[in-house]
Amino acid sequence: MPQNVSFIDRLRIERLVWALDQQLYDLPRRSRIAHRREVRANLRAAAAEVGTSQALRRVGGSRALAKQFLTAEFGDGPRHSWTAATAFAVLVPLALTFFLGEAANAYQNAITTADPQVTGTFTWSGVSYVQSAVRFDARQGAVTQIGGAFTPLVYILLPIGTIVCGRLWRALPWLRTRRTAE
Amino acid sequence: MSSSHDPQLLKGSLSLLLLHLLAEKESYGYEAAQRLQAAGFADVLEGTVYPALTRLEREGRLATRLVASSSGPARKYYRLTPDGYRALSSGTALWARHVAAVDAVLSRPLPDVPEKGI
Repeated sequence: MPQNVSFIDRLRIERLVWALDQQLYDLPRRSRIAHRREVRANLRAAAAEVGTSQALRRVGGSRALAKQFLTAEFGDGPRHSWTAATAFAVLVPLALTFFLGEAANAYQNAITTADPQVTGTFTWSGVSYVQSAVRFDARQGAVTQIGGAFTPLVYILLPIGTIVCGRLWRALPWLRTRRTAE
Repeated sequence: MSSSHDPQLLKGSLSLLLLHLLAEKESYGYEAAQRLQAAGFADVLEGTVYPALTRLEREGRLATRLVASSSGPARKYYRLTPDGYRALSSGTALWARHVAAVDAVLSRPLPDVPEKGI
């Protein structure tokens, strides 16, 4: 007999749907939204029939369900990860900028600590292959920094690292089709 | 809950079962799972059925349409495509041959089973 699905039950269903959605980010957006809507509709129907707890139990958890959806979409075996690729593309430049900035600041602090009223131009060659030289222009202890940009090598390595980290070649349609057929 | 079916056997036959059930009558995910359970596969979880339907849809064996529901969000109904009917036909024949071959082996008489300890 159909039961009423309470507000709390709907929240429990939404919690699972949200958790599932978070684990399906490697799917195309349209497909991810379609899965989300379908699972929500099915869970609501199941909750009305057998109760929310039983309905959620029989789905088997968001992690297992997401894994099966991803396998259904991309086939068995290793697959690409847009999440990992995005994390690399965002976090590595941020981390590099932070650490190189801190290193330059340490150099600047060394200059001003040695002589608080320092005047002159100082150059730190920077981290080899990663950044250009950083020039410090000091005037009466006030220091300005110029330079320290990423080298062209970094701009080449960042996309390569993004592709490698996300295994993005596995997203190529012809490769995916071949793997699914095997 | 004890499992009444070998999971490996189920994995191999789930697509065929779903194709047959959906050829009988188009259904949405939960309904298909319910019909599968009513057919004796009570230990098949909905979490296994939904991705299997997704896979069949991706393979072009199932088509879908959204139908508004009075009791909640629109439901995605699955039905067979011509390719799905072909897959069902060839799968059924393959399954029949497989069952016949297994039966042929299992029905052979066994020699006397040796007693334990000999």
